[in-house]
Amino acid sequence: MIRQIAVAGLVAALALTSGTSHAQWTPDIESWNSPKPEQPDTVLFRNATVWTADEAGILEETDLLVRDGRIDAIGESLRAPRNAIEIDASGMHITPGIIDAHSHAAILGGVNESSRISTADVRIRDVIDPESINIYRQLAGGVTTINLLHGSANAIGGQMAVIKLRWGDAPDDLVIDSARPGIKFALGENPKQSNWSNDNPRYPRTRQGVAQIIMEKFQQAAEYQQAVDSAPRGRSARDVVLPRPDHELAAIAEILSGERDIHSHAYRADEMLALMELVEKFGVQIGTFQHVLEGYKIAPRMAEHGAGGSAFIDWYAFKYEARDAIAFNPALMHEAGVLTGLHSDNPELARRMNLEAAKAVRYGQVDEHEALKMITLYPATQLRIDDRTGSLEEGKDADLVVWNGHPLSVYSRVEQTWVDGRQYFDRAADQRMREELEQERAELMALALDQGEESDDTASSEPAEAEAPPGMRSFAAHLTSGMPQHSHLHGFAAHLVGYRKSELSHDDFCLFHFE
Amino acid sequence: MNMSKVNTLTLAALFLALTILAVPSARADMLVLTGATVHPVSSEPLENATIVIEEGRISAVGTELQWPSDAEVVELDGLHLYPGFVHPATQLGLTEISSVAGTVDTNEMGSINAALRAEVAINHDSYLLPTTIAGGVLTAHVMPNGGLIKGTSAVVNLDGWSWEEMVIHSPVGMHIEFPVAAVDDENNEDLKTIENVLDLARHHDQAMQAAERGDAPAPARNSQLEALAPLLRGEQALYLRANRYDVMEAALDWAADQGFENVVLMANPDVQYLAERLASDGIPVILRNVYAMPTRRWEAYDMAFVAATRLAEAGVRFAIADSGSGMDIANARNLPFQAGTAAAHGLDKADALKSVTLWPAQILGVGDQLGSIEVGKRASLFAATGDALEPMSRIERVWIDGEEYDLSRDHGRSLYPRYRERNAEVQSR
Repeated sequence: MIRQIAVAGLVAALALTSGTSHAQWTPDIESWNSPKPEQPDTVLFRNATVWTADEAGILEETDLLVRDGRIDAIGESLRAPRNAIEIDASGMHITPGIIDAHSHAAILGGVNESSRISTADVRIRDVIDPESINIYRQLAGGVTTINLLHGSANAIGGQMAVIKLRWGDAPDDLVIDSARPGIKFALGENPKQSNWSNDNPRYPRTRQGVAQIIMEKFQQAAEYQQAVDSAPRGRSARDVVLPRPDHELAAIAEILSGERDIHSHAYRADEMLALMELVEKFGVQIGTFQHVLEGYKIAPRMAEHGAGGSAFIDWYAFKYEARDAIAFNPALMHEAGVLTGLHSDNPELARRMNLEAAKAVRYGQVDEHEALKMITLYPATQLRIDDRTGSLEEGKDADLVVWNGHPLSVYSRVEQTWVDGRQYFDRAADQRMREELEQERAELMALALDQGEESDDTASSEPAEAEAPPGMRSFAAHLTSGMPQHSHLHGFAAHLVGYRKSELSHDDFCLFHFE
Repeated sequence: MNMSKVNTLTLAALFLALTILAVPSARADMLVLTGATVHPVSSEPLENATIVIEEGRISAVGTELQWPSDAEVVELDGLHLYPGFVHPATQLGLTEISSVAGTVDTNEMGSINAALRAEVAINHDSYLLPTTIAGGVLTAHVMPNGGLIKGTSAVVNLDGWSWEEMVIHSPVGMHIEFPVAAVDDENNEDLKTIENVLDLARHHDQAMQAAERGDAPAPARNSQLEALAPLLRGEQALYLRANRYDVMEAALDWAADQGFENVVLMANPDVQYLAERLASDGIPVILRNVYAMPTRRWEAYDMAFVAATRLAEAGVRFAIADSGSGMDIANARNLPFQAGTAAAHGLDKADALKSVTLWPAQILGVGDQLGSIEVGKRASLFAATGDALEPMSRIERVWIDGEEYDLSRDHGRSLYPRYRERNAEVQSR
């Protein structure tokens, strides 16, 4: 009831808002109860420092015009279209939305399909959680696009999904269909099960074996595809048994035909060289090495091959293969001409990727604008979505972030985050949400106390929610049904309350959280 | 990379070699750092200032200082001098590669580990230490982490030729974890275990004292019980650990019931909800992680980012730490950024700096030696290219107890020039 009134009030507020004033959009802590932010015809950001992540560089005292969800113009003293929403961004900095090329932040039902050594047939697209609270919080950190990847349990993992953080939309509506299809690979300790094991022993147990099994799968996939391609069609197909569809080999065959990019978890130089050598025999180019801790040792070779590097900037020493991980890695790869990006692999870290970029300035003196590209344009290019997002250029999607200061400064904060010209995060709206939630909590507490007195002697086994208004019931049911038992989690999440499993899931085999 | 860059590198290396060669000729007992902006922490920054160091201690700080002509002088124009960060709670030195069990000495088995001293397992040549030092974290409070009663901790220099030499202050305190399940269960078995051991230790201490007076025969020795005596006599601080505000509240009530007066609460961002009580009880807090998920799913996105601000507003004495365990051990160098993020979310910038320097030093009982640039304190300092809480700033030089630290001991700083040169060479072919 209370919520319905609140929503009605909001709709009224939206209806009343027009012209140059800004709509009083207020989100809810639950995406399904948040109104989808509207897409105004035109939005004009006035007088900002614009970090284009493009050849135009960093433009001071510049206006940025958004029309129908796209960037329409960037320049000084732009003329405001009729009814444009104008935002005074004086003293503010605007950057492209951050793109995180390695995330597990919104995956339902587990990140690792750890059964087989190759699980090329499984798809993240089938298990996207568009209601994850991680999405809202990452929007609050300026992230607009993430690459959802499987874990690193298998040499050949599953098919990834690149999504825009359209929090609360239907799962398929988050997916960027124009992104190049991709698949997770993994090398080293995780696929060879150095620190974990299945119930049944699984080949391989060495890095040589990892390379061999990938080779074998490629050969099988090539033969499978040849069989499919050479199978008779039309009339003549009636008399033969056609090749049985094999979703695993079909996906691997897409790698061989260049339709699907490899994004391979990799730490050590030797294993990366082995994979490059292997795929080159099949005429395949690797999309990116993920984590790529020793990329700096073979950066010229990576550049020659054309593999991108998507890195943690400063994690090290959590596994033996991370011993030579150094924070100068992104700077060294970048200098050698490797397309270098920075990623989170962690839903908490993902909220402050701007500071990871700042560390690329610290370790190796990467130019600040180049460092910003490592979390915007370069990951967009790695995921082949740079035609749509990743920089502020006319014609691209209006995925952008308004910061209250230098975007790489520890003292700066995100004020607004826009996706497709819709304002999905607004600090002022977030503050309003807190007040509304606080008020609602107080009202519900009063309601619950009232009902407690009335139903004292009914000895109902149902909780109070059974008596609550309809909107409330679904709210409570939603919360409790998703309430996970956290016993399986490592120390970092052991004390967290009320989260859904998908919101705390991560690649168990990648980062170690010992408490 | 082209050849001219390589030549620049070579020249830079040559220049560095010359600088090092020049050192022995200067006066060995006086070091003068001059030209930098000095951030004393305890007072306002001084531009173009000088620090004089004698016998490892700061002997003068100012803008109008003079020094003998034979003193060793280091020009630091354009740089910023800060006192080394003091890590308030970590397990540095006790682990190397967290997935390799043989290299991990962080968590002892069993419930009662009172007699454990964290410092005796510090590997002074741990390769994590130079990397931490290169991040400006020069001193750390190293704690044990196994069981309910975990043992005692020590404040150590992160550089030294042995753990004995590294120790600055030990024991700092006895670490006890308040059992989560005891929050609403007076008969919680873990809590009973702790209480029984404390009772036994009290009796044991009485018996020992009686024996010393000659009033009774000495009881059988018991190292675990004897280790608790200083805590029970009020001579040692209790480092009380709890995550979740209701557990913290129960833990504080319990500690008061037990008669512990010198308590430091080690807690996650939930501690903000107890700010007023902590301020009125005068209990200092080690805030473990600004970089944390909000404790509850429905809490504001910045719940952990504002925790320090809430403590400051209420007047609580606090220091900012990371979790001190797991992945945070190797990345203790990121400590200052946590303070910076707290400042982005309301904490006064000067207080943010204090929360990782002077305040932890004071809480840990070494405020007379560390945490600020003041006369008489240890000359453990670093020079950065800018604001030390900014990840964009670089740390260029470090001194520990007046001795310059060789930053190339950091694994990253040693591999960086090697591979930079190698990659340039490959690409120039």
